[in-house]
Amino acid sequence: MNARPRPGVPWRRALLVVLAASGLALGAAAAAAAPGQPPVVHAARAVSAPAAGTCDPTASSLRPYGPPQVTSGSFMAKVRARGYLIAGVDQNTYRFGFLNPLSGQIEGFDIDMIRAVANAIFGNSDPKTVHFKAISDAQRIPSVTSGAVDIVAHTMTITCDRLKDIDFSSVYFNAAQKVLVLKNSSATSLDDLHGQKVCATSGSDSLDRIKAHQAVPVAVAGWTDCLVLLQQGSVTAISTDDSILDGLAAQDPWTKIIGKPLTSEPYGLAISKQHPEFVRFVNAVLQQLRTDGQWKASYAHWLGNPVPPPPQAKYAG
Amino acid sequence: MTTSVGVAPATVTPAPAVRRAGWRSRLEGETTPARLRLLLALLILLCLAWGALAALTADQHASAAADVVAVSEPLSLDAEQIYTSLSDADAIAASAFLAGGLEPAEARQRYQADIAQAAVRIEAASALVGSSAARTEMPGHPAGQTPAAGSAVGDDLAILSGQLPVYTDEVGTARADNRLGLPLGAAYLREASALLRGTLLPAASDIYTRESAQLTSASAQATGLPLIVIAVVAGLALGYVLYRSSRWLSRHTHRVVNYGLLLAGLAGLVSLVWLASAFVIGRGDLLHAQQQGSAPVQAFARAEVAALRAHADESLTLIDNKGDDSYQEDYLAQQKLLGPGPGSLLAATGSSQAAAQAQAWYQAHKALREQDDAANHPAAVTSAQTGDAARSFARLSATLSEGIGTHQATFAASARGGRDAFTGLAVGMIVASLVMVAGCVWGLSRRLAEYR
Repeated sequence: MNARPRPGVPWRRALLVVLAASGLALGAAAAAAAPGQPPVVHAARAVSAPAAGTCDPTASSLRPYGPPQVTSGSFMAKVRARGYLIAGVDQNTYRFGFLNPLSGQIEGFDIDMIRAVANAIFGNSDPKTVHFKAISDAQRIPSVTSGAVDIVAHTMTITCDRLKDIDFSSVYFNAAQKVLVLKNSSATSLDDLHGQKVCATSGSDSLDRIKAHQAVPVAVAGWTDCLVLLQQGSVTAISTDDSILDGLAAQDPWTKIIGKPLTSEPYGLAISKQHPEFVRFVNAVLQQLRTDGQWKASYAHWLGNPVPPPPQAKYAG
Repeated sequence: MTTSVGVAPATVTPAPAVRRAGWRSRLEGETTPARLRLLLALLILLCLAWGALAALTADQHASAAADVVAVSEPLSLDAEQIYTSLSDADAIAASAFLAGGLEPAEARQRYQADIAQAAVRIEAASALVGSSAARTEMPGHPAGQTPAAGSAVGDDLAILSGQLPVYTDEVGTARADNRLGLPLGAAYLREASALLRGTLLPAASDIYTRESAQLTSASAQATGLPLIVIAVVAGLALGYVLYRSSRWLSRHTHRVVNYGLLLAGLAGLVSLVWLASAFVIGRGDLLHAQQQGSAPVQAFARAEVAALRAHADESLTLIDNKGDDSYQEDYLAQQKLLGPGPGSLLAATGSSQAAAQAQAWYQAHKALREQDDAANHPAAVTSAQTGDAARSFARLSATLSEGIGTHQATFAASARGGRDAFTGLAVGMIVASLVMVAGCVWGLSRRLAEYR
């Protein structure tokens, strides 16, 4: 899921607004030109193409030097000396990162990625080797840049805008924005929800796309809060990444996901620009997961069958 | 100029003398029976006036004291109970949720008891507001402010009775989802807690504040001085008139004692002493009720509510760490309010035991947060549920509850004592004034009879 740029960089925000507005106009033009076509895809492309000439978010990461190795003097060696990896995670997104009430542990697909990285650093699967720190959407980039966490796994979309502040691993999951409605809804896409209330978290780009489709955005703190509002009848729909919507739909069998993908949301693990060796290390770990079947096993466990092939890694250099 | 200065005093000074001479000569000029009749009429009038004034004074104080006990006390007690029950429900719901699907039976029972307590108290307070509104419509009460305050309390009670089921519904959904292991449960609990803190508790707090103000004003009315001072001065003046009358009678009738006037004087003295002593005793009791009762109750209740809120924050942080630390920040805000530094809520209670227990709890909470931040969530949960944090909070909570209970009992006893001091006083004043009238009539009519 995309989040708005951090406060404190107004020119960047202004740029995004301008781009979003032009994207909106583009989308509207497309809608007028070809009714029935989802104009959103165009709008979304316009939004995520600020540096279209130079930046490909899915091919921006650093190539690993073979299998993961903790070289002396590297950041990984420091983490190993410390005894634990500090990971910034989500605690409220079912199946990706959530506090399991039954086990009292944070679990999910994102968490599996982190555990794999920790296993590669420490050479064992002791759960104590990871300290999880629950952070909000807005805290993701500051936590990485300040060094408060070593790595962030938080359904975080790789964007060119974010790449200016932080590094990402290669893509470990491909999501797309869709819409969640109640089972008895006749809507088939976000365009059918014209003038109706649609929920998203404050700080997410999903809100902007809801506005772009002439629906009324309702902003809340967390995605589960959106489901509360949907169940209480305060909103008609929820729109965000399908990965998150799947998790919400799994908590309420009386909902369904509708529509074609509105955007493409490649997820990456966020790491500070200070530690390029760690980015390469993490990419090596992800490459192992892709090939040794762990990625598929984790996908099957959290997200169910059928399991798609893992996203292929592309590197900038 | 000089002449006018010299003349002016000469013409002005004699005037009162002349007037007095005229009044006196008129009285002197009358026959003794006529003068006796005049004196009798005057004494009857004065005795009745004294009786009316004393009865009015007694009634004012008695009804204000009765208000303290009958309406204000139960209503502010209800408001305090609604406030603390709801705060306790918030803390217990979060704590029980933290235990997961297998919540402790006692937590469930305590939550249900809190909700039942709140519901019963809301109903009781609504009934009291209804009856006090009926009372304020009666003549004799100031019509301006009391009905307005009553209806504001009525609005708050309507919010409470309307939103309490919404709150329990959300907590119920949170439990059901939590039992299924769904993170959605945490969102419902968060919403429930926000409803409680944003809507229910402010309404309860508003009632409590208004009722406390009303209690203070009723108490001030019952213990106020102006009317009683006027009554006592009037009583002493009447005693002096009776004394002078009996002196005059003894000069003119050559009898040393007029038993009628003596009776009237004694009745007056008894009523005056009764009025004054009832006031002194009642006032003492009511002031004691306020200083040793309602004021400490309020201090302990406010401290307990802040402690309960912080306790709920402690659990909510562990249940739903959104990453923005809002519950932990609220915990620290409540900790600052609680104290025990100068000007804090715990300082207001004056309980050093509670202060020490609060410090112990803060320590345990700090350790709990360190555990949670070091990714040892299960250990932090254990501390909040049954460990150090839970035990130290329970001790603080028990001390604060005990403080409320003890001072509530003091208040109830003293306020009832204050009210009882005024019992029968107004009737007694009327009876006494009638006895005085009878005494005057009896005493003077016997003298009058001698002239027939």
